[in-house]
Amino acid sequence: MSVLQVILNSIIRASELALLSLGLTIVYDILKFANFAHTEYAVVGAYFAFILNVTLGLPIFFSAILAAIATGIFAILIDRVVFKKMRNANGIIVMVTSLGVAIALRNTVRAIWGASPKSYNVPLQAPIVTKYFRITPLQIWIIAVGAAAMVAFYILLHYTRLGKAMRAASDNPDLAQASGIATEKIVTAVWFIAISFASLGGILIGMETYLLPYMGFAIIIPVFCAAIMGGLGNPYGAMLGALVLGFAENFGLYINFGKLFNLGGLLHITHRALFIPTGYKPAISFVILIVVLLLRPRGILGKKEER
Amino acid sequence: MGFVNFLVYLAIMIGIFAIMSLSLNLQYGFTGLANFGQVAFFCLGAYTTTIITLTFGLPFIIGLIGAMVVAGVFGYLIAIPTANLKEDYWAIVTLAAAEIVRIFFLNEGWVVGGGPYRGGAFGVGDIPQPFKSHFSAQTYPFFYLGIVLVCLLITYLIINKITDAPFGRVVKSIREGNDHLAQALGKDVRRFRLKVMATGGVFGGMAGCLWAHYYGFISPSQFLPLVTFIVWAMVIVGGKGNNKGAILGTIVITLFYNSTRFLKDYIPINEITLASLRMVAIGVLIVVVMLFMNEGILKEKKKIY
Repeated sequence: MSVLQVILNSIIRASELALLSLGLTIVYDILKFANFAHTEYAVVGAYFAFILNVTLGLPIFFSAILAAIATGIFAILIDRVVFKKMRNANGIIVMVTSLGVAIALRNTVRAIWGASPKSYNVPLQAPIVTKYFRITPLQIWIIAVGAAAMVAFYILLHYTRLGKAMRAASDNPDLAQASGIATEKIVTAVWFIAISFASLGGILIGMETYLLPYMGFAIIIPVFCAAIMGGLGNPYGAMLGALVLGFAENFGLYINFGKLFNLGGLLHITHRALFIPTGYKPAISFVILIVVLLLRPRGILGKKEER
Repeated sequence: MGFVNFLVYLAIMIGIFAIMSLSLNLQYGFTGLANFGQVAFFCLGAYTTTIITLTFGLPFIIGLIGAMVVAGVFGYLIAIPTANLKEDYWAIVTLAAAEIVRIFFLNEGWVVGGGPYRGGAFGVGDIPQPFKSHFSAQTYPFFYLGIVLVCLLITYLIINKITDAPFGRVVKSIREGNDHLAQALGKDVRRFRLKVMATGGVFGGMAGCLWAHYYGFISPSQFLPLVTFIVWAMVIVGGKGNNKGAILGTIVITLFYNSTRFLKDYIPINEITLASLRMVAIGVLIVVVMLFMNEGILKEKKKIY
């Protein structure tokens, strides 16, 4: 595999992670709890798209958009039933509740669609192959959607009234409310944005591989790591964290650590090639998380917070 | 006889999981440490005793002590980078650490001695059962239940002692979300958290050891995050911060979990759907308890000093 291919794979992975970790971090920013159900909403979105695409036969493009909107509304409904009653509760209480929501969602999906993998009805497209890399049209889409979502979020946050209100509510919720900003409306908007982005991420991951009820749990650790690494509550931190993690996961498996120990041939500490076994891929994000937390307990771009 | 055997099985499960929920209750109920990786202790305890008793052929009691020491040390180590962090970070770090422990045993078959179709995803069988030769096949489960109940009693007495002692008051002050309170009294919050995680690990390891010797077979697929979530449901339903509540919660959840198994004899439903619906119910139960009866069935006794 060429280095260019590894870079490309890293960017694809980063785009998927960014779509998910961005939502996680803005929900944390406004509602002050770590939502353990976040990646499960992505799975729900992916299966909504499956209904539209496979059961009803709509093209995948419209299915994805409709599913993202539907899942956003679904998240608002769950908020009304569950999280709204806990606005003033301690973050840890809400977090444990979100764990309950996560367990319920994951297993509802498994009860309805079963545990076997499913795939979307997408025409097979030939990958673009060059001397240095190969990329499928779908992977180009993943990068494009990821980048477009990030740009859209930036514009939303800095050039719209809603964005301004969101930033105000994040800085000081009481002051924002006193200034006539309807905090509940912002909460609704944040859920919608966060969860539709997450569903898009879930759908894209499902298109690249396949749909499984456990796919949400499989990505929860890297998604949280990306959000924490950049500082929970900081949207740009989450994007940066996703990028760091995408590169770390792919280069972690690509680099021959044997060469690294020998400083590229200067030393002869070991003669063997030393690669991280692929089975340990999930461990990479964890190790990075621990190192980051030891060095910068509030993440790379973490906000200062008094406790 | 079949029914009696089933009751003994249920009692053993309740005993083992009560130790797990007492351990989690000390961490979450009393100290406010959201450990989403409780299963790591269970897994480490099970594998440690397997290695000690099966690979090295040492007696059960050495396996039990080894399991408690290894899981306790792990609890201490995992708390070091996180001890000063907020509870949100605790949850994800412990969740991830538990997955790494499982992935380790999944990939490294040699730790249990290796061999064809052994270790890694294949799991390990033939774990010796203590004093098996002294009993007949019918009476042995009763004897094992005795071992489990003695272990549970020891756990209950020690954890009750800890939480009633000044130590318990300090950790409760840490839980109340304000390190400053404990700090103002000259308590090193970080050290208390490390001690709580180590103690939680010791008893989680004990439960894992009892599990391994009861089943005689362990594999990484028994130590999925699912186990952690079930133990969480036990603590939350029973009443966090109340040791009797943790045990009561274990009884309620274990009975619920096992009684729904027989549903498939009465309604046409396949195994996977039933297993999923059972977990949906547990998830919904956690949400409902958190929403409407935050303190669980048995409330914490709040003393005024």
